[in-house]
Order: sequence, then structure tokens, then C-alpha cells
Amino acid sequence: MLTRKRNFGAFLFCVPALLILAVFVYLPLFENIIFSFQSFTLSAKTREFVGLDNYKALFSDPIIMQSLFNNVLYAVISIVMQVGFGLVIAAVLEDVVFRKTESFFRTIFFIPTLLSMTVVCLLFEFVYNPQMGLLNSFLELIGLEEATHIWLGDSSLAMLCVIMVSQWQSYGYITMLFIVAIQKIPSELYEAAIVDGAGKLRRFFSITCPMVRQMFFVTMVTTVVGAFTVFNEPYILTGGGPGTATMVLSLHMYQTGFVKNQMGYASTIAMLIFIITAVLSSIQFFSFGKEREGDR
Amino acid sequence: MKKLILITLVLMLSIIPLFAGGASEGPAEGQTEIYFFHRWPNDPKNSMFNALLEEYMAENPDVYITMDCILNDQYKERIRMVVSSDDVPDVFSSWSGTFAEEMIDSGNVLALNDIYEADPEWSGKIASASVAGFTFDGTIYGIPWSQDGKVFFYNKAIFEELGLEEPETWTEFIALLDTLKANEYETPLAEGLVDQWAVLHYLGTILQRMIDPEVLASDYNPATGEFTDPMYVTALEKWQQLTSYMGEIATAIDHETARNTMFATGESPIMYLQFAEIPQLEQVLPEDFEYGFFNFPAFEEGLGDPEALTGAPEGFMISNKAENIDACVDFLKWLVSPERGAILTRDCGDISSVDGALTDETALPEQAEALKMIQEASFLAPWLDNACDAAVYVVFGQGGQAIASGDATPESVMVQVQEAAASIR
Repeated sequence: MLTRKRNFGAFLFCVPALLILAVFVYLPLFENIIFSFQSFTLSAKTREFVGLDNYKALFSDPIIMQSLFNNVLYAVISIVMQVGFGLVIAAVLEDVVFRKTESFFRTIFFIPTLLSMTVVCLLFEFVYNPQMGLLNSFLELIGLEEATHIWLGDSSLAMLCVIMVSQWQSYGYITMLFIVAIQKIPSELYEAAIVDGAGKLRRFFSITCPMVRQMFFVTMVTTVVGAFTVFNEPYILTGGGPGTATMVLSLHMYQTGFVKNQMGYASTIAMLIFIITAVLSSIQFFSFGKEREGDR
Repeated sequence: MKKLILITLVLMLSIIPLFAGGASEGPAEGQTEIYFFHRWPNDPKNSMFNALLEEYMAENPDVYITMDCILNDQYKERIRMVVSSDDVPDVFSSWSGTFAEEMIDSGNVLALNDIYEADPEWSGKIASASVAGFTFDGTIYGIPWSQDGKVFFYNKAIFEELGLEEPETWTEFIALLDTLKANEYETPLAEGLVDQWAVLHYLGTILQRMIDPEVLASDYNPATGEFTDPMYVTALEKWQQLTSYMGEIATAIDHETARNTMFATGESPIMYLQFAEIPQLEQVLPEDFEYGFFNFPAFEEGLGDPEALTGAPEGFMISNKAENIDACVDFLKWLVSPERGAILTRDCGDISSVDGALTDETALPEQAEALKMIQEASFLAPWLDNACDAAVYVVFGQGGQAIASGDATPESVMVQVQEAAASIR
């Protein structure tokens, strides 16, 4: 009896959170599923049911393929640059050699994360500017004139340039997460390894890497999900151009909905993004979510 | 120390309502309220509207106008959302053409024929070409207050130095660009193509000049649009040819950057600009810089009217749900008048659509010439993004950019346009 009462009390405490989630997450999600089978404009009073037409359009839309390619490229580069590179930097900073300067470097690397994405993008517009940009000026200064490019205007380079902006901004955050994870590794492990004669590289691969496994997967999923929902960088830097060279799923969804005024089809693209991110998160949840830190 | 923090906090908290109170001023009892929504939150227009509203409310103490404004693209989104709702603003700004049609489709826009007819003294002063942009099937839905046109601006000094003349045909224009290129003007035509609208302004004119007007009208109509006429590919080939004079850099910079760093510096002698850009241009031009303009040259094989001018009026609409329609009409009649039109042209540089607004005191000589060009044009051809459905013009914009960066061909772009047109038919 007592437990039931207590359970009810606990349930009551959950109600506000459940209500907010229901109203702001699940209801719109459910509505979006319905919208994705309809055709309507922003100012329309009625919505026309079109069955699977939007989904058929999705599979024959060349911009979807282009966007998916760009999102995958985004994800792959983000994993290598942020998760891979971030782990290495974290390990280096946690090394005894850097103990005294660690907090200084940690702050330096973390500062870009604190900047607003809009500010960062405007900043990089100046970096990439072909007329007076920092990057081209620098290349000219060191005698590499032939390496100068019209970065954001060249469709073969534009996407890479856009991706690099978020790498610059985000790797400090991932590094910070790894530093926290590395600090939690018991120092006895390293001490024992040193006694056994293990070098720095050996310790990194045999102790640091396996011990931060949990954090490794968390950061991987956040970067990958982030890569599939990226919007600000291409929106501000290129608007998806030149042509559709830097188009990503969320930007295509936005343009379809708010520029082309096809809200139904935009909802279908939203469903595609939802399915991709949900699948990726579930993989993480089911394969690594059950693993507790103590289970290692 | 703690006390100090506490006192600071209390002081800060007590100051907040002071600021809040200033902002939440509202209509007094008995006053008629008009909710006015427009797309110009930036100066000089914002200051101009604030001053005008203050003046109007001082003259009409029984009226209170609440003004709200957000910039272009956000404005488009917001007005699209509210126009069909009960929250539709009493008076709001609108572009002409398809955007106006979209507003009218909501069923909440007031037809103004009676108001135009009831006061011929006032309505007779409004440029009829501009009213046409708001007229659909004989019904007038808007009051235009500014008009604009797009022409090639050129650097007079460079033209004189090389003995060049304003071109009238496409062949002459290309020859002129080649001459400039041969005379070390590597980028004779300045343009920033990062902005899709800049691409669309070009394409809109090229299509209007090239395509048979009847075919074009049928293709611009979402219900009948096919875009299968082979002339479209030829038209895009003209665009491709033109982009070869804009330099590689064009796809990486925006229109303003091109204007300020290439045209204004004399690096590029020609640029396709709106008359509305004259004030911004004047700000960055060196003292002795003289410019002239010429209309888009005629294509020899073109089927459209070469005397047309690409441009469009902008104006205001009244909601038929407004509680005080008479007050809204009075306010707009006051706003769209020679006196206020003069202020618009003098302070903001937009060319007023009201006759008599442009005088030697209120307008630059270039603006007077611009008005003459607008008046002499056979008709005002709308911007491409005002002429056809967004689903189609976005493809034109992206395709035009891709042609400029060498990633698409005119044929491949037209296939995409045809698909987009089919998807909304």
C-alpha cells in the first residue's frame, strides 16, 4: 500500500515534465507525421491529403541525394576531426609534461565553443573571402599563390570549407569531455603500466582508449546526430550554394518549407531527418547504453 | 559586501519596470487603433516611419498606430503565416505579383476599387503601371508607394576613355564587354551571385526578353507551367555567356560586396543595379565618380518586348478584417501622397510612385532620370521571384548559380525546372 502511494507521489512529480514533453515534442512529432502525407502552404486554410506522393518525391529528389552525401561527409569528417583529434589532444594535455599549462590550453581550445555560431560564420566569411580574406592573404604571404582559391564559390571546395568551420568550433568541446573522462581513469593503472615498462603510446592505446570507451561512443553519437541536423553553417555561409553544392537535409527542409512554401513536402524531409537521427541514437542506446561504467 | 550586492540587485530590479513601462505604451481610451506591419526595420526607413507616424498621430489625435516590422525574408514568413489567421495586421506592406496574389488568396485582403474611384484626385496621382502590379482580374488590392527598376549602371569615365557607347542590342553588349576585357578590365561586369535573388533578377529579364510573352505567361502560371519551349535553353545559354564576364569570384561574394568593392572602385565598369540602390551607391562612390545607365539590351532573336523594364512596385494592403477600415484608408491616403512620397525619395532614395513627389529638391538628377526610364518603359516586368511560383524560381536560382560555377548546363537546369513545374501543376 505504502509503495503504491509513494509511486503515485513520484508519478505526480513526473507529470509536469511529461506534459511539457507531450505538448512540445510528441504532439508536434505526431502532427508532423500527418503533415508529411499532406500538401499545403503556410497561408493555406485547408490541407490536401496526398497519400504517399511526398515520399515518392523524396526518393526521386536529386537534392536529397546531394544533401545526404554532404551530411555523411559532414559526419565522417566530424568523427575523425572532433572525436579522433579531440581524444588525442585530451590525452596530450593530460600528460605529465603539460600539467602546468594544461588549464591554459584547455581554455584556449574551449573558447570557440562559447561563441555564437552566427558570429563564427561571419568571422569565417572574412577568412574565406576571395578578395581580402585572411586565408588567401596568408597563402600569398608565404608564397603559395597557386594554392589560393575562391573557397566558398568553388563547388568542389565549398562543402569542405563549411565543414571545417564547425570542426574549428566544436573540437574544443569534445576535447573537454575527453579530459573529464581521462581524469576519471585511476592513476594506479598508469603507474602499473609504467612499472611494466609501457611507453606513452602503449599507455594511450592500452589504457586511455579502452577506459574512455563510454565517452567515445557518447561523443560519436552527438557529433553524428549533430552532423545530420546541421543548419546554421551552410545557411549563413553559402545558403546551400553555389547551386546545391553545400545543401544539407535541414537546409533543404527549410527552403522547401519557408521559401518554396511546400510545407507538406518539408514535413516529409523532416521525417527523413528524424528517422536517420532516431536510428543512429537507437544504435547507441541499445549497444552501449546498458553498459555501466562499473561493468568495464 | 553582501549588502552591496543586495542593494545593487534591488536597484536593478526597480529600474527594469521603468524601461518596460516606456515600451508598452498603447492606445488611450476612445482612440482608434491601427496595427501596421511592414518590412523595413532598418534605417533610414525605420526612422522615417517613426517620424511619419508621430506626425500623423499628432494631426489625428483620435488614431493610434501600432507599428511592427521585421526584415525581408522573415517578413515573408511571418506575413504568410498570419495573413490567413485572425491576427492579420490592419495595414501591411506587400510586394506585387505572385506574392500579392498569395496574400489575396487568403481571402483577407480588402478590394480597393471603390476607394480608388471615390477619390480620383488622390488616386490619379499614383502611377498606373504600379497599380497594375496589384491588380488581379480587374480588382485592385494594393496601394503602391514605391517603384523600382533594374538597369545596367556604367562608369562614365571608363566609357569615355575607351570611346564606348551604350549598347542597344545583345551583340553590341557582348562586343562592349569584350572590348573592356581586352583593355585590362578582367571582370567587366561586377556581380555577387551568392545571393540567389541577384541571379533571379538577371534570369527574369533574360526570360522576359527572349520568350514569347504568351508562352511565358502560361509557364509562369503554376496551373499550366511546363517550361518546355526550346527558347528557355537558349535564354540560359545567354546567361552562361554573361557569367563568363563576371569573373570566377562572382560565386563567392554577395551583391553588395561586388557593388562596393568592384563597381565603386572602377575595377568593373558595369553592374546590373536597382534604382533603389542609388543611395547606397552614392555612399561608397568617390567624389568625381559619374555613372549613367542603360536598359537591358535587346536580344536579336528575342520574342519579348525589349522596351519593358524589369522592376516592380511595392505597396500596402488593408485587411478586410480590420475593425476600422476607414481609418486605415485615411492613413494610407495620407502616407501615399506627394508630400510623403517626397520624404521617401529624399530620405531613403526609393522612387515614389506618386506623381509630383520627385522634384529638384527631393531627388538627385540620377533619380529623376530613373523615374523617366520607369515612365517610358512599355511595362514593368516583375522580378522572377514575383512572377512565378517559389518552387520554380528556387530551381532557377540554384540552377543559375550552378551554371555560373560551371556545375550545370542550361539543358540540365531546364530539366529540373520542368520537373519542379510539373510537381506543382
